[in-house]
Amino acid sequence: MKFTRKLAFNLFAWAIVLAVAFPLFWMLVTSFKPQFELFRRPPTFLPETFTLEHYWRLLSGTNFMIYFRNSAILSTVTTLVVVAIATVGSYSLVRFRYRGRESLAFIVLFTYLLPSVVLIIPLYLMLVQMGLSNTILSLVIAYSTFALPYALWLLRSFMAGIPEDLESAALVDGASRLGAFRDVILPQLLPGIISTALFAFILSWNEYLYALVLVNSDSARPLTTGVMNMLVSAFNIEWSLLMAASVMMSVPLIIVFAFLQSYLTRGFGAGGVKG
Amino acid sequence: MNPARRTRLEREYALLGAILIAPTVLIFCAVIVYPLVSAIYLSLFQVFTPTLEGSWVGLSNYRELLGKEEFWTSLLNNIIWTVGTLSLQIIFGVAMALILHQNMWFRSLARSLILFPYFVSTVVAVLVWKWLFNDLYGIMNHLLIVSGLTDFPIDYLGTMPNAMISVILVGAWKYFPFVVIAVLARLQTIPDALYEAARIDGAGPISRFFDVTVPQLREVLVVIIMLRAIWDFKEFDMIYLLTGGGPITSTQTLPLLVYKEAFKLNQMGMASTYAVAMMAIMLVFMILYIRRTRSEEDT
Repeated sequence: MKFTRKLAFNLFAWAIVLAVAFPLFWMLVTSFKPQFELFRRPPTFLPETFTLEHYWRLLSGTNFMIYFRNSAILSTVTTLVVVAIATVGSYSLVRFRYRGRESLAFIVLFTYLLPSVVLIIPLYLMLVQMGLSNTILSLVIAYSTFALPYALWLLRSFMAGIPEDLESAALVDGASRLGAFRDVILPQLLPGIISTALFAFILSWNEYLYALVLVNSDSARPLTTGVMNMLVSAFNIEWSLLMAASVMMSVPLIIVFAFLQSYLTRGFGAGGVKG
Repeated sequence: MNPARRTRLEREYALLGAILIAPTVLIFCAVIVYPLVSAIYLSLFQVFTPTLEGSWVGLSNYRELLGKEEFWTSLLNNIIWTVGTLSLQIIFGVAMALILHQNMWFRSLARSLILFPYFVSTVVAVLVWKWLFNDLYGIMNHLLIVSGLTDFPIDYLGTMPNAMISVILVGAWKYFPFVVIAVLARLQTIPDALYEAARIDGAGPISRFFDVTVPQLREVLVVIIMLRAIWDFKEFDMIYLLTGGGPITSTQTLPLLVYKEAFKLNQMGMASTYAVAMMAIMLVFMILYIRRTRSEEDT
C-alpha cells in the first residue's frame, strides 16, 4: 500500500518533469533526424535513421564556427573583466568605511534592475561615435552594463558571508590589508567567484538585444543573432539544422550543468532571493 | 595605540577602499550613469537615426506620448504579459517546488531537468518552441489533432488571442524554474519541528500546508514576485523573437515599442521618451524592491 502510493506519486512527478523537459528532448531528437523524416506522419519518436549530417553541415558549410568563436571570446573577456573588477569592488563595498558607500550599494542594486532598452539608444550613439560599432569590443562594453551590477551584487553578498574575524586575525598577525585580501579573503571567496563567473558567462552567452543593435557584420556577430539570422535568411527553413545549431549553442551550458551545477544554485541564493 | 596613529591607519584604509572601488565607479559612470542621463536628455529631442541630426523639442515628445494610442496599447499588452506569465510562473513554480521537496526517485536529475530551461538561451528556447508550434509538421498540432481536441492545425503565433497566450506560456516555461529554486531553498529551511508540532495538534496534510508551509513561504514569495515582475516587465528577447510584436501590434510590449521606434522608424528622440516613460513606470516596483532589500539588511 505504501509502495503503490509512492509509485503513483513518482509517476505523477516524473510525468510533469518530462513534460517540462520535452521541448529540449525534441530539439535533440530533431537534430539527429534526416530532413525527410521530419515530415513523416505520425512523427517518429526516436530518429529512425540516425544522422550527424546537420552537425557536419553546420560546422563546415555555415558561419556557425565564426559565431561560436565570437561568442566564446566575447563571453570570456566580459566575464574576466567584470569578475576581476567586481571582486575588488565588492571587497571595498563590504569591508571599508568611507562616505558614499551606502549610496553606491544602492546604485548597484538599481542598475541590476534597470531595463537595457533605456540604455541601448545612448550606448549605441556613444559606441558609433567612438567608431566601435560592429566590433566584439563594443559588445564587451555593452555587456558590462548588466554583467557588472549583477556580479557586484552577487559577490557583495558572498563577501558579506565571510566572517570578519578571519581578516582581523590576519591583520593582527601583521599582514597588510591587501595581503589579508589575497591570503584570507580570496580563498574563502573562491566558490562565490566561480558562481559569479558562471552567471556572467551564461548571461553574456545568451544576450540578444545588444548584439542585434550593435553588430551588423558576420565577422563580429555572436551566436544568438547569428543563428537567428540563419533562420531568417534561409529560403526554406531547415529545422534539423536549426535544432543542431541550438544543441551546439547549448554545449557550454550542458558542460556547466554536468560538472558545476551546485555553483549555479548557490548563485541563486546570493542573488537577492533570500526570503 | 595612540589616537593619531589610529586615524592615520583609518585614513589609509579609506584611501585603499576608494582605490579598490575606483574601477567600478569609472565603468558605472561611463556605461550606465552617462547613458542613463543622456537617455533622459535625448527624450527632449527629435533625432533622425541615420543622420543623427536632432533638434530640441522640449517636452513635446511627452505630450505626444500621452496622446498616442500605440503607447497605451503597448502598456496594456505589457501588463497582460507580465501578469499572465508571472501568475503561471508562481503557480507552477510553487507546485513544482513542493513536488521536488518530496522524496522522489532521482531527485537531483529531476531538478537539473527542471532548471535547464531557465539557463538555456532565449534564442534556443524560441527556436525550439517555433518548431513545436509549426503549423504543418509541429508536434503540438499533431498531438492536439490525434487526441481529438481540434480538427484543424492551430495557428499559435499568427492570430489573437493565440499569440499572446503562446508567448505567456513559453515565458512561464522558461522562467518558472527561478521560482522553483528560490521556493525550494526556502522550503528546506523550514524546521521539521513546526510540522511535528502541527501533527501533534492533529493537523492533517492540507491544514499543515496552509498553516505551516504557506506562512513560511510568504516572505520569499513577495521578494520573488517583485523581482520577477521587474524582469518580466522589461523582457524583450522572447516576445520579439516569437512574434515580433505581431500580429500587427497585438503582442507589442513597451521594450519592443522602444526598439521599433529607435531602429525601425528611426526616431531616437521619441524612442528615448518611450524608454524613460517605461522606466518611470518600473521605478515604482524597483523602489519597492530596493527598500525591502535594504530594510532586510538592516535588521
